[in-house]
Amino acid sequence: MRARVVVTGLGVVSPIGIGVSDFWKAALAGQSGISAITSFDPFPMDGYRSKVAGQVRDFAVERFLDSVHGERVDRYAQFALVAAKEALADSGLQMAKENPHRVGVIVGAGMGGMVMGEREITQLYQQQKPHRVHPNFIPVITLNSASGIIAMAYGAKGPNLTISTACSSSAHALGQALHCIREGRADVVITVGADASITPLVFAGFCSLRALSSKFNDQPEKASRPFDRLRDGFVMGEGAGTLILESAAHAKKRKARVYAEIAGYAATSEAYHMVIPREDGVEVAHTMRLALADAGVTPAQVDYINAHATSTTIGDAVEARAIRQLFKSRADKIAISATKSLIGHTLGAAGAIGGIASVLALHRGQIHPTANYDDPDPACALAGLSRSAQERRVKVALLNAFGFGSNNAAVVFKYVKRET
Amino acid sequence: MATDPTISLKIRTALGEYLKRDPATILITQHLRDDLGLDSMAVIELLYRIEEAFDLQIPDQDLVGLTNVGHVVSYVEKRLGKTASPAPTKKPAKPSKPKGKKKS
Repeated sequence: MRARVVVTGLGVVSPIGIGVSDFWKAALAGQSGISAITSFDPFPMDGYRSKVAGQVRDFAVERFLDSVHGERVDRYAQFALVAAKEALADSGLQMAKENPHRVGVIVGAGMGGMVMGEREITQLYQQQKPHRVHPNFIPVITLNSASGIIAMAYGAKGPNLTISTACSSSAHALGQALHCIREGRADVVITVGADASITPLVFAGFCSLRALSSKFNDQPEKASRPFDRLRDGFVMGEGAGTLILESAAHAKKRKARVYAEIAGYAATSEAYHMVIPREDGVEVAHTMRLALADAGVTPAQVDYINAHATSTTIGDAVEARAIRQLFKSRADKIAISATKSLIGHTLGAAGAIGGIASVLALHRGQIHPTANYDDPDPACALAGLSRSAQERRVKVALLNAFGFGSNNAAVVFKYVKRET
Repeated sequence: MATDPTISLKIRTALGEYLKRDPATILITQHLRDDLGLDSMAVIELLYRIEEAFDLQIPDQDLVGLTNVGHVVSYVEKRLGKTASPAPTKKPAKPSKPKGKKKS
């Protein structure tokens, strides 16, 4: 029998709160973390079609970390370190008591160290002084800088991987961590999603793709509105989420508090288009079906879906269609929420933060609202969506995440009875 | 060893910023690795700051000899064409370009 895997610690850095307690309180209140980007110093926002984002305000890494690790890495990896620190403390795991080779780190990151990346590239082209490129440029922009620095910070010597599949990166990180523990290659995996690339070039790139919302620049908190009729694109966000995954046996041995079981995972490709999903939703439905089968549950058992729901016209409609295809009449009985309505699309962090919302739904019986779901779009109306928080016993939760490159992931979490 | 106090101070200040300690506690005799705990990457970062502070380019072949604070100070003095300048100036005088020092 394959090893069961559970979630024993959570940590988050988000536009609506740093720390799970603040994040969840704000999420349940439907608080928006979307605000205007005032400028990309030194140039103004005039040329940008979209001018809003889910920004983590007033983040100073030294407030959260007392080691030098945070100074050596870019903003996304700083977020990852802070979320990992909280999750490890929350899990009660003491590295000194662990076999370090049995503790792994798997990070999902879509863009990586773009803050330094853009700065150094700009300076090089402007000044044409190759010898002034910062010596840390390569280690900082290398996409595994977050997984590396977390391992160094905690002495985690097990499998150390970075998954980069754009917006589904950290859903795959969760899935790969699940496999890693199932296969007996680690007892614990510090599983992270992180991105922080609200930077002049990346933001301009998403604007040029016409992927971002531009109709709500004067009302930033209204801009991210998944499944709503007036949605007009996603809102970029930034942040990190960490989930401590460990084998159920290991968690039991150390008497850890268990939030939920991570029970199933599927990874597929639509092999269709770099940025557009297949409109019929068949591949999304297939991915969800595979993940449920991996978890040993039927569609009829699903109570909650943390939808990918980025607030793009096509993407939300395809996901809603896929949910209806797979769950049929049950589709309207499943509670659904879109975390991106609150914090925007945190790219590589989205799967992990959505995973945290899923785990908390199971653990606490609370489902956060979908902000701005004011006028349900008939193309994607699902009865389980709500602008209000829902109190509901959830036994099986499904997390969806889809990425550019025709990439799909789904993860299944199960309720675990609290031990008294 | 006679040193230019401005150069010495700038270098110790750069080290102090990097190491997060009072530059006054950094001694000219201290070894970068053994006494100050800089690993090879940290030495490279320090030299990057020094290149910036003194508008220098330090070629790879010169790194070998730079093992303690005093070595770095005297190296910079030599490159700037000055040893023990009598009156510290705010900005080091424009160095005469050393011969044979091409790009690293």
